[in-house]
Amino acid sequence: MTGLGIDLGSRQIKMVALKDDWFLWFKSFDTIPFYKQYSSIHQGKLTIDFKGVGVDLHHEGTRIPVVATGYGRNNIDLENARVIPEIQAHCKGAEFQTGLSTFTLLDMGGQDTKVARVEKGLLVDFIMNDKCAASSGRYLESMAGVLDIPLEELSRHSTNPVPLNATCGIFGESELIGKIIEGHPLEHLCAGVNYALLKRVLPMLRPFDMDNMVVTGGVAKNEALIELLRTKTKAKVVIPAHPQFNGAIGCALQAQK
Amino acid sequence: MVGITTTIPLEIPLAAGKNIVDLNNLFVTHENPQELIEEAEMAGFPRNTCGWIKGIYGAIQKLDIHEVISVTEGDCSNTRALMEVLASQGIKTIPFAYPFEHSRETLSEQIDSLAAYFKVDTAHILAAKKHLDLIRRKIHEIDRMTWQENVVTGAENHYFQVCSSDMNGDIDAFSDEIDSFTEKAAQRKPLKEGLRIAYVGVPPIFPDLYPMIEELGARVVFNETQRQFSMPFTSSDIVEQYLHYTYPYGIFFRLKDIQQELEKRRIDGVIHYVQSFCFRQIEDIVLRKNLHLPVLTLEGDQPAPLDARSRIRIESFLEMLRAAKAAT
Repeated sequence: MTGLGIDLGSRQIKMVALKDDWFLWFKSFDTIPFYKQYSSIHQGKLTIDFKGVGVDLHHEGTRIPVVATGYGRNNIDLENARVIPEIQAHCKGAEFQTGLSTFTLLDMGGQDTKVARVEKGLLVDFIMNDKCAASSGRYLESMAGVLDIPLEELSRHSTNPVPLNATCGIFGESELIGKIIEGHPLEHLCAGVNYALLKRVLPMLRPFDMDNMVVTGGVAKNEALIELLRTKTKAKVVIPAHPQFNGAIGCALQAQK
Repeated sequence: MVGITTTIPLEIPLAAGKNIVDLNNLFVTHENPQELIEEAEMAGFPRNTCGWIKGIYGAIQKLDIHEVISVTEGDCSNTRALMEVLASQGIKTIPFAYPFEHSRETLSEQIDSLAAYFKVDTAHILAAKKHLDLIRRKIHEIDRMTWQENVVTGAENHYFQVCSSDMNGDIDAFSDEIDSFTEKAAQRKPLKEGLRIAYVGVPPIFPDLYPMIEELGARVVFNETQRQFSMPFTSSDIVEQYLHYTYPYGIFFRLKDIQQELEKRRIDGVIHYVQSFCFRQIEDIVLRKNLHLPVLTLEGDQPAPLDARSRIRIESFLEMLRAAKAAT
């Protein structure tokens, strides 16, 4: 291993090990059990029990460099690791995974939705959702829970969306229950949820060029949303091979530097 | 003591010998500003209303203020409703407007009617203006020392300029404070040159924004609205002075001043602060379209230290500016 990248997300902790330009392995853990089981605070710094998670950071007498990102560089202070801003990690990851150097990045994670513009390898502008996380993966999870279906099923439907207008993700639950009672077919309800998410994301994309759009984060696995993005924007939508690990990949690349 | 909801022609109540206090400053520097907001919400102010309006209401209740000059045009319509609530509680409210048409004639009428309320004549107003202008000039010097000599921090610049709306409630004590600060700052070596940031929009509700920016190797060298409170375009004519004052007259008029200062102060990036639920959030569209520098729109709601998300955004913004600067 030549570099380890860690993305401390709100729903999952992702780790990526690189050997030069090659991926050695990917690991992911649910956030809360991970912190309970494998982390502690040592002299005010977050310490990860790497042995416990099965990672050997020593190689021929040297320590493998570690770079992390996550909930704000100010909020995490990971022992023996360099911490970089999330936007930087995601842009580097996307550049590496797609080979593109000019693109608009849409990263949709558990709570965050970020849109960033990279031109010739340089981050030139970005916005993030603020104050409200109704435009995130957590919204999809919660709606799948209300519909009592797995996320994969929710992610399949994009046609005939039932109109959903609640601004709040919590009130959105009762609104969806109301639509179930009205007797709408499950496919249309699913499409409605995906469409509601799209409506929240489109205004964030509006200020950015729509040439290449790289979609990352767990929500990139939502086929219906991707289909809707393709239809509603003129962008060439690119999904990298490892959308959920994109931030951790960016960190691993930085670790090698 | 007479409270004000935002900057008004301070010359007039001062000429009448009144003690003036900016209710925004009273609220945000209160030992527990959150409690003042809660007081307003308990009284029925909606959760989705501007924190400054609720804070002003709370400050008036807690600090027993009986007379308030409310700016009903040129600030926001929430102030109008606040004035109505206060009037219904028996608090004396004096309306003042910066008319939207921005004409000498209509503004003169407003200034005359405020003068009539306080029963002061032109001679007294001009004497008060002379006194105020002396102090304002000292504040302009602090501003110059910020961007040109680089010996004043963004937080210090913010403090002295924001306090010029009411001269910190005590004009002579404030004047002494300015003198002693200026003398000290003049002895300093220039601060380490990092990113030069412009702060535009209403003053921040966060107490720790400026130190946080400085911690990350950047410095605010332009505080748009706070600088306006100090009347940077001083004129011997009081009506003309308040016609030059940009804050109440819409985004296009403000933009001219902003664009000029961005260039003069060699700014790398702009932080546009907007208050949650404020109409000025919409003006962000026009602002972004017209500024040819990277802009971070930062939203604040409650008087509390910066939340984790805002910190991430500021941090990433500064990193981005740094990378862009290194690439050129």
